[in-house]
Amino acid sequence: MSTSATAIEPGGRGLARAISPRAVAWAGGALGILAFWLTLPPVTARSPLVPLVVGSLGIAAGIWSWRGGVPARVWRTVVAMGVLGILLGWLATRSNVDSLDQVFVWSALIAATLRAATPLTFAALGGIISERSGVVNIGLEGMLLMGAFFGFLGADKLGAWQWGIVCGVLAGACLAAVHAFVSIHLRADQIVSGFACNFLALGVTGYFFIEVYTDQGTPGNVSNIPSLSIPGLRDVDFVGAAVGNLHILIWTGFAAVLLMHVFLFRTTIGLRVRSVGEHPKAADTVGISVYGVRYAAVIVSGALAGMGGVYLSNGITHSFNENLSAGRGFIALAAVIIGRWRPVGAFLACLLFGFTEALALRLPGAYGEDAAWTTLFRTLPYVATLVIVAGVVGRSVPPAADGKPYVKQ
Amino acid sequence: MSESRVVLELRGITKQFPGVLANDHIDFDLRHGEVHALLGENGAGKSTLMSILYGLYSQDEGEILINGERVEIDTPKEAIERGIGMVHQHFMLIPVMTVAENIVLASEPSKAGIVLDYASARARVSELAQSFNFAIDPDARIENISVGQQQRVEILKALYRKADILILDEPTAVLTPQEAEELFGILRSLQRDGMSIIFISHKLNEVLQIADRITVLRRGRKIETLPAEGATEEGLARLMVGREVLLRVDKTPAKPAEPLLQVDDLRVLDDREIETVRGVSLDVHAGEIVGIAGVDGNGQTELVEALTGLRPVLDGRFSVDGRDLTHAGTHHILDAGVGHIPEDRQLRGLVLEFTLAENVALHDFDRRPYSRFGWLRLGRIVERARRILHEFDVRGGGPDTLAKSLSGGNQQKVVVAREVANDPRVLIAAQPTRGLDVGAIEFVHRRLVEERDSGRAVLLVSLELDEILSLSDRILVMYEGEVVGEYGPDVTEEELGVAMLGGTREKEAAA
Repeated sequence: MSTSATAIEPGGRGLARAISPRAVAWAGGALGILAFWLTLPPVTARSPLVPLVVGSLGIAAGIWSWRGGVPARVWRTVVAMGVLGILLGWLATRSNVDSLDQVFVWSALIAATLRAATPLTFAALGGIISERSGVVNIGLEGMLLMGAFFGFLGADKLGAWQWGIVCGVLAGACLAAVHAFVSIHLRADQIVSGFACNFLALGVTGYFFIEVYTDQGTPGNVSNIPSLSIPGLRDVDFVGAAVGNLHILIWTGFAAVLLMHVFLFRTTIGLRVRSVGEHPKAADTVGISVYGVRYAAVIVSGALAGMGGVYLSNGITHSFNENLSAGRGFIALAAVIIGRWRPVGAFLACLLFGFTEALALRLPGAYGEDAAWTTLFRTLPYVATLVIVAGVVGRSVPPAADGKPYVKQ
Repeated sequence: MSESRVVLELRGITKQFPGVLANDHIDFDLRHGEVHALLGENGAGKSTLMSILYGLYSQDEGEILINGERVEIDTPKEAIERGIGMVHQHFMLIPVMTVAENIVLASEPSKAGIVLDYASARARVSELAQSFNFAIDPDARIENISVGQQQRVEILKALYRKADILILDEPTAVLTPQEAEELFGILRSLQRDGMSIIFISHKLNEVLQIADRITVLRRGRKIETLPAEGATEEGLARLMVGREVLLRVDKTPAKPAEPLLQVDDLRVLDDREIETVRGVSLDVHAGEIVGIAGVDGNGQTELVEALTGLRPVLDGRFSVDGRDLTHAGTHHILDAGVGHIPEDRQLRGLVLEFTLAENVALHDFDRRPYSRFGWLRLGRIVERARRILHEFDVRGGGPDTLAKSLSGGNQQKVVVAREVANDPRVLIAAQPTRGLDVGAIEFVHRRLVEERDSGRAVLLVSLELDEILSLSDRILVMYEGEVVGEYGPDVTEEELGVAMLGGTREKEAAA
């Protein structure tokens, strides 16, 4: 039908047809980032006009790509990035140069971002495998906390960081087994079960923490996660400071992202896991054990979150405190959703959250040492979560059977 | 054919569910290369019997013999290993995955044990499809292919697993007449290759068309096994229901009066914000039934939702008895004299956790005489419900019974009763007999014709061509959100089928 053919034709003419709207959208997003970046060291543009002009160009590109017919979530993201670029850029131009220089040491910021992103990454990968199999895992937070405490305890009492990893991973897996049993076997509400797991973890770790460490606090001489110093790379300018000397668990995290991607989308077992999360009955009727797959996926999920916890205590804080995880499991869950249940997407989201956390750690040094400001800066990752989940991403589609208990007849 | 060996035998299969004896000592046998139809009303035990055979349920009593050998089938996996394949009524396909992924799932070709060898999977699927003359793209996602093609994927799934006994559960329920013809062609060619087929259905004509033998079940019991040759629709209906059934709807020609429902160039978006109703105009006059035919998903659902205020109208307008109600909202639309029998009685027709009296009062509980000063007057609500339930012959419960405990047919009667008792001017009936058995269908059909004769305008939306043809005074065909044809009551199924697949529109475009 000729009328419908013309109706589908994008609204733009001439240029819009010559350049792909998606490319315009990408360029717009880049302009949004550029608007902020130009005001930061090393460029440090001081005129508020700079971010305003560049950011507006980005917004214009976003609107143009909308006219070209890109999906709503894409152009909305581009426009939001432009607005954010102008806003942050303007803030930066109001700030003094010394503070900016102090905060935006890019190599250190990158290293800190990667450090902060790693616990999130492990937990998010756990969330992905669990939800891909159809079990919502709100309990990631608790599993992260279990990993953090028992990872620390293991490294401390058994004397080696490797034991810390073993203990933390096992602790996370154990809590996940509880969640699996309650939500798969007993078919309880998965949100409630996951939440209960979080409180259980708070209680268990809190109890043992007080039992073991209350007198003199956590010792400072615990075997920590070692760094992987890469010869050749570590001496290169900038790159060396950024990634030349990272903890091995950070590299393990990168590898885990790739492995999870390959596992889910390139292996037979991955296909079966996804089939169980999408349509358990279809999986059942071709002979896949729905319960078996879900148990395995949830327990692996807990092990991964546990690993993230180990890195949090043994790699970042080098100590343990009650509720050390402080909502990171929930941020990881947000990363799963923003990343659309895909490992690489979730990893990118984790990097973004990691960056805000790294920023939050460095801002107080330059802009206000007092406790009130520090606390306020610490909310940055959570604010970013809210903004991204609510404003930019919009609706993203989970696996069809996510959160639904399977009743075998 | 009749001398072929028996490949499958079920002996004395019994299955008890809480409160229901679903299968009561059923005997059944399947011969090599035959199509054996399993005929019965909903709840007769057909699906239960086949679920037992496929390992989804386990029987309480009785045994299964394959090629004369006694076997235990406790899981679908064991059924598959014994060469049994099943095409479920609700397809067991994963919408977001490709055809090839769906077919090889759980028996995937692999490299190094675990890496999915997708190239080899699609090659095997292509080869298999070609050998059975199926045109199918192994890389297409299930959600993007037609229902007819999805069914072929289901059949290929069974063939890929080397099934030699194929169970099809109500396979034509979702197909157009043309697609059903194609399916029968496929089944016949499979039959020639030595496949033994069990064909579950409650449609008499197609059973007579495809089957070699027919086994009739009623209320969990086997009534009779008879050769299809020489059987008649009337005879089978009597065996199915246990009494004489009027298969044709008796009605006089319509005497349409003034137009009551007028729809003008209506445009509606679906949940994905795609325009699924694209400029529909129609009139329904007092005293006539207008049927809307079409393959599922061509905008009928959205049209009905828009007309009942459940979905916002993007553009265009509609009015009832001259009153514009385009943006009036459900409450006002119902008040203006529209009755709505929704397509999903459990989702929208009834509150399953409420009693029948409460369900009957859903529209007018907040009005006198059923409430006063914000207080419900339960006595009156119950009394009215009792009267209506009696009038509509609702069985299985009284006003205090929870709606969920009724059978589907009686639930539907409650919905019909409530909508009709409100004395609407326009009655919109969306798939009013979906999932009902012959007896209940007869009731609903008779009632719709009675409502027509008492001067109401009836808009009937149905996926069942039989229903459209036997009830409608005028028939509109919807295809991709547009009305592509209008027909009188004496149109043939074939003509409608062509229009339902967009045939008339293509012709127009070509002209």
